[in-house]
Amino acid sequence: MQTLKGTKLAIFLGLFPALVIYLGIAILPIGLSLYYSVMNWNGIGPMSFVGIDNYIEILGDDIFWLSVKNNIIIMATGLMGQIPLGLLLALLLNRGLKGSAFFRTIGFMPVVISSVMVSLIWGMIYNTEYGMLNNLLGLIGLDSLQQNWLGDPKWSMISISIAYIWQNCGLYMVIFLAALQNIPDEINEAAELDGATGFKRTLRITIPMIRGTIMVGVVYSISNSFRVFDLIQILTGGGPAHQTGVMTIYMYNSAFMNMRYGYGSAVSILILLVSLIVISLINRLGKEKDI
Amino acid sequence: MNRKSGLFKFLAYTFLSLLAIINIVPLFWMVVNSFKKEQEYAANPFSLPTSLHFSNYTQAWKVANMDVYFLNSIIVTFVALIITVFLGALAAYFLSRFKFKGRGLIYSLFLLGMLVPIHAILIPIFLIMQKLHLIDTYWSLILPYTAFHLSLTVFILEGFMKGFPKDLEESGVVDGAGVYRIFWSIILPITRPALATVIILNFIYNWNEYLFALVLISSTALKTLPLGLANFVGVETASLTLQMAALTIALIPIIIFYLLLQKQLVSGMTAGAVKG
Repeated sequence: MQTLKGTKLAIFLGLFPALVIYLGIAILPIGLSLYYSVMNWNGIGPMSFVGIDNYIEILGDDIFWLSVKNNIIIMATGLMGQIPLGLLLALLLNRGLKGSAFFRTIGFMPVVISSVMVSLIWGMIYNTEYGMLNNLLGLIGLDSLQQNWLGDPKWSMISISIAYIWQNCGLYMVIFLAALQNIPDEINEAAELDGATGFKRTLRITIPMIRGTIMVGVVYSISNSFRVFDLIQILTGGGPAHQTGVMTIYMYNSAFMNMRYGYGSAVSILILLVSLIVISLINRLGKEKDI
Repeated sequence: MNRKSGLFKFLAYTFLSLLAIINIVPLFWMVVNSFKKEQEYAANPFSLPTSLHFSNYTQAWKVANMDVYFLNSIIVTFVALIITVFLGALAAYFLSRFKFKGRGLIYSLFLLGMLVPIHAILIPIFLIMQKLHLIDTYWSLILPYTAFHLSLTVFILEGFMKGFPKDLEESGVVDGAGVYRIFWSIILPITRPALATVIILNFIYNWNEYLFALVLISSTALKTLPLGLANFVGVETASLTLQMAALTIALIPIIIFYLLLQKQLVSGMTAGAVKG
C-alpha cells in the first residue's frame, strides 16, 4: 500500500483526530496529575509549589490509612469471594447440566446493570426500617439479628462487601467458563483413562489447565478493587465517620468537597502507584510458580 | 457411581438455584413493591400488591425527571459512541492495513489507555473542562467517554482488521479508489461483527457511567440517568415505593437489552475485562 500517492497524508489525517482526543484527555492528564500533586491549589487563588508536602500530609492522616485498610478489605473480598465463587460456578456450569444457560444468564445479569442501580437496590435491601433484609429477618422470627447494616461500623464493610460480590461475581464466572470450554476434550478423556475423575480431576487437571486465566482474573480483581467508588459513594458515602471510606472516596472528598486539587491529585497518584505495585507483585508471583 | 452423580446433581442444582434466587429476588422484590402504595408496602413488604398502582410510575416519571435523564443519557451515550467507533475504526484501519514509521509506537500508546484508571485523571479533566468552559455541558462527558474507550475500540477493531487477507484492497486500488474510499466501502462492511461488539460495549459503558457525570455535570437539565437516579433517591428518602418505581423504569430497558444481545454482551465484556 506504500505505493499509493498521498498515503502519508491520509494516514496522518486518519489517525490525528483519535490521537488528539485520546492523548489530550486520557494520557496527558496523568502528567498533569503528577504536576498538580506537588502544588497547593484551591482552584481559584494562585497555585503554589509545595514539593512533597501533600504526600507527607496524606501519609500522616489517619483517615487515609483507614481508607487503605478498607481498600484491602475490598481487595480480599474480591480475591476470596468473587474469584472462588466465580470459579465454582464456572466449574458447575461446565458440567453440561440442564439449564446451564439459564443460570449463566441470571448470573451475569448484575454485571450489566449500572453500579449506581446496584448500589441503590442494595441500599433498599439494607434500609434499617423498611429494607428487605431486616423485614425478612422479622418475618422468620429472627428479630434479634436485625441490624443497622450500613450505619453500624461493625457491619457496614461486611454489607458493602456482600453487595460487591453480588455485583461482580458473574463476570468472573463467564471469564472462567470461557477458559474451561477451551480445554480440549482429549485432555479430559486422557485424564479419565488414567483414573482421574470427579473432584480429583477438577483439582489436578482442570484448574491447572486454566491457571493462566485465573491469574488474569486475579489481576483484574485487584485492579478493580482499587477503582471501587460508585458502590460505596452511594451506599454510605464513606460514612459513618469515614469508617467505610476507600482511597477513591478520600480523593474525591479532598478534591471536590474540600477544593484541594493538589492534595487530591497526590492521592490519585498514590492510588495509581499502589495498584501498579500490587499488580506487578502478583504477576511476578504468578510467573515464579510457572518455573 | 450412579448414586454419587445423582447426589452431585442434587447439590449442584441446589447451589445454583440458591445463587439464582439471590440474584433475582432483590430485583423481583423491587418491581413488585413498586406497584404498591407506601402504606401497603410498610404493612407487608413481601405480599403481592392487592391492585396495581401505576401512580408511583407517573409520579416517579414526573418528580424524578426521568424523561430528561433518559434523553440526556441517550444523547451523551450515542454521540460519544458514534465518535468513538468512527474514529477508532479509522485509526484501527491505518494501524492494521498500512506500514509506516511510528505504527508500533502509536499502537502501544493506544493500548496504554486500558491501564489508566478514571480516578487517576479525574481532577485534571475537571480542571481542563473548566478552563475550556465545557464544564456542565454534554461535551464535558462526550469527550472523556470517547477518549477513555478509544483504547479498547482500537484494540478490538485492529485485531479484527489485521486478519483480512492482504490482497483485499487490491481490487479497490485497481479501480482507482483512494484509501478512504477503500476504508468506507471495502473494509468497514466486512468489519461488521467486530463493530457490533465495540458498539455494544461502548453503549453499556457510557450508559452506566457515574463518576465523570458526578464531577462534570451539576445542572439538573443535563444529568444522565445514573446521576439523576442517585440524586433522586438521595432526596426522595421518604417514599421507598416511589424510588422503586424510578429504578424499575431505568432497569427494564437494560434488562431487555441484555436478554436480546446477551451473547455479544457477555463475550464483549469478558474481552474488555481480560484485556483491560
